[in-house]
Amino acid sequence: MSNVRERNESAWLLPPDGKRVNHQLRQDMRRFEDNDEVDLLVVGCGAGGSTMLQRLARAGWKVLALDAGPFWDPDTDWVSDEAGSHHLYWTEPRVISGSDPVPLGSNNSGRGVGGSMVHYAGYTPRFHPSDFRTRTTDGVGADWPIDYSDVQPYYEAIEEELPVAGEKWPWGDPHSYPYRPHPVSGNGDIFLRGAERLGLVAKVGPVAIVNGRFGNRAHCIYRGFCLQGCKVNAKASPLITHIPDALAHGAEVRSNCMVTRIEVDERTGRATGVHYVHEGVSRFQRANVVVVAGYSIETPRLLLNSADARFPEGLCNDFDQVGRYLMVQGAPQTAGRFDEEVRMYKAPPPEVSTEAFYETDPTKPYKRGFSIQTVSPLPITWAEHVTAQGYWGADLRAYMSDYVHWSCLGALCEFLPQPDNRVTLADEKDRHGLPVAHFSYSQCDNDGALMRAAQEVMEDILRAAGADEVITIDRFAHLVGGARMAVDEQHGVVDSNCRTFAVPNLYITDGSVLPTQGSANPALTIMAVAARAADRLVAASRRGKEQP
Amino acid sequence: MRLPRRGAEPGAPPAGQPWSGRFPGFDVLDQSSHWDPATTGVVLARVGMAPDIRFFTPDEEAVATALCDQLLAQDDATEPQARVAVVNMIDARLAERQTDGWRYDDMPDDGQAWRESLAWLDADANEQFGCDFAACSRAQQGSLIHSVQNRGSDTWHGLCAERVWSLWTRYACTAFYSHPFAWNEMGFSGPAYPRGYKNAGIDRLEPFEVRDARPGDDPLRRRA
Repeated sequence: MSNVRERNESAWLLPPDGKRVNHQLRQDMRRFEDNDEVDLLVVGCGAGGSTMLQRLARAGWKVLALDAGPFWDPDTDWVSDEAGSHHLYWTEPRVISGSDPVPLGSNNSGRGVGGSMVHYAGYTPRFHPSDFRTRTTDGVGADWPIDYSDVQPYYEAIEEELPVAGEKWPWGDPHSYPYRPHPVSGNGDIFLRGAERLGLVAKVGPVAIVNGRFGNRAHCIYRGFCLQGCKVNAKASPLITHIPDALAHGAEVRSNCMVTRIEVDERTGRATGVHYVHEGVSRFQRANVVVVAGYSIETPRLLLNSADARFPEGLCNDFDQVGRYLMVQGAPQTAGRFDEEVRMYKAPPPEVSTEAFYETDPTKPYKRGFSIQTVSPLPITWAEHVTAQGYWGADLRAYMSDYVHWSCLGALCEFLPQPDNRVTLADEKDRHGLPVAHFSYSQCDNDGALMRAAQEVMEDILRAAGADEVITIDRFAHLVGGARMAVDEQHGVVDSNCRTFAVPNLYITDGSVLPTQGSANPALTIMAVAARAADRLVAASRRGKEQP
Repeated sequence: MRLPRRGAEPGAPPAGQPWSGRFPGFDVLDQSSHWDPATTGVVLARVGMAPDIRFFTPDEEAVATALCDQLLAQDDATEPQARVAVVNMIDARLAERQTDGWRYDDMPDDGQAWRESLAWLDADANEQFGCDFAACSRAQQGSLIHSVQNRGSDTWHGLCAERVWSLWTRYACTAFYSHPFAWNEMGFSGPAYPRGYKNAGIDRLEPFEVRDARPGDDPLRRRA
């Protein structure tokens, strides 16, 4: 692997003076006209979109990204406060349904440059090799059209760019991380103590939080507000890991631009650009290649809202695949009570994890598995745990006053992809007059069995560590799927290179292309798959298949 | 900046409650001079005057106030100085349409769901006790609230009861537990930028943190 600075200089382009934004770099940013035909236009500056933008800018393409939200300044826009961080989430109207409706917004939907990685915890585990062929090996889920070995070099590259800190990782494809593990706090100590007493292997990491110094990014200060946007620039998000380098190589990032429709030329069948709204004005940006990276709800919604005469059921939706196989992970959280003071709000919530239950265990009645990680809810989120037990009034206040004594673990259960878990368009319209997304979700039996099994293990760990009471809240985390990668257009929306089957110069490079999810947090895989797609696109253009 | 001290003053939890006095002398606002300006602005705004009611009608405000006092065990009589203006904070969110970014397909939007559920609480109160919800005794209000909670996934006046319950508790807790007064009674140190923490670990405290005076006083044992 080449020196990371030679591949991606983002961390060195951030200011060294304690400020978190290089304002000069943004001020000097290249600016295209709507009428310029850019080589490549990205919709959405999250994990997948920003990686794509940076890679193609490096390759010398004229690239532009539109993002519906703001171009954040961590110094002025982000706060060390739960309720004050509401603006980090996508809170435009959406409708949810199904037997297990999944709340959106704060838990899984980002906004602005950096996307959901602005408010993700910071866990960046790899998928296991088995995740790419669960249909063949486990008889459930789906096989990817690519293999772990196709993504592996991109995992290594992105782990260096974020960079990731953690112990040598024994699960999946064993590997090590570029940075040493962080010291652990009370919550991590409890997990390690309980695991040790059970003879269970748990490891510190993997987190995309600087341990030491990386370029001009500062060391983590362990303030615990990772989910509220890292004001320190210690936790990785594309805002600081890929966007600065993209700008330095001539990319434009145009914020507060809501893309409303992808335009496809009926005669050529090629995308010609996108319609978007900026400050109330409808505009059209021309592009030679369009990349959609709006994540699992907004990407399908944009495709469906781009229906035209050729694609009456929605762009790329000839085979009714758009919006389907959307997945969340079952994410029960179990907390335990100790007479000692844990004060789990001190230190990043992501600290320690185990993937010992990740793979199918033939002795169990369910397929696939779950991972367990520390989570450290702050007061408002902790109140959800307490009210979920039915407490209110005096009982609620009494439980809440006990906060410093509680330790909390979270599981990620691999829910299976199902065709009816999907995004469609609702009758309701947003402020732009566009139909909003309707997201229906129902668990299958395997999903429910994993939730119960994960809860049992978390209870065992906490009790082994000495907890005298344990409480659990059932919840969900992460989104992937909705425009999945497949071998052909009857089973998915994009091919193994993230190119849509239906429109030759339209790509999707976000979490929606993932056919399965494992029980890993998806950010690293989304970036790695996007980085691979970028490489393939550049290679194809060199062969003359896609002109920049 | 010097902020009001606790004791009989703002921020003091009421005496004699299970949640009061566990962190003697701890006041998170004492640390506010160590916070960054953006955070300080956001948090101190909550300690200042509450925003005026804009969304709720006076009738709705009356029901919402009684409901939230019940949900959060706040009592105007016993803790006038420490009462968090939860209803004003909820009202502000609804007026600004600051939702959580989703609604159930069988529920109206959050603002309308609040209006309807408050009206039904009042209707239930009149039917069962012959007076408005706000005029009911605390015990009567408690039993009406309990009956909504106990319905679980059944409907209550055409609304899914557990979704109404989730709406009420979500908004009420988000408001209350965003307030420094609430942080004081749970020993939470609040904002921590740019200072961060140096003493993470079991039973380790920062110099400004206060140890729980009643570590064995957990809810489970209290019940036993």
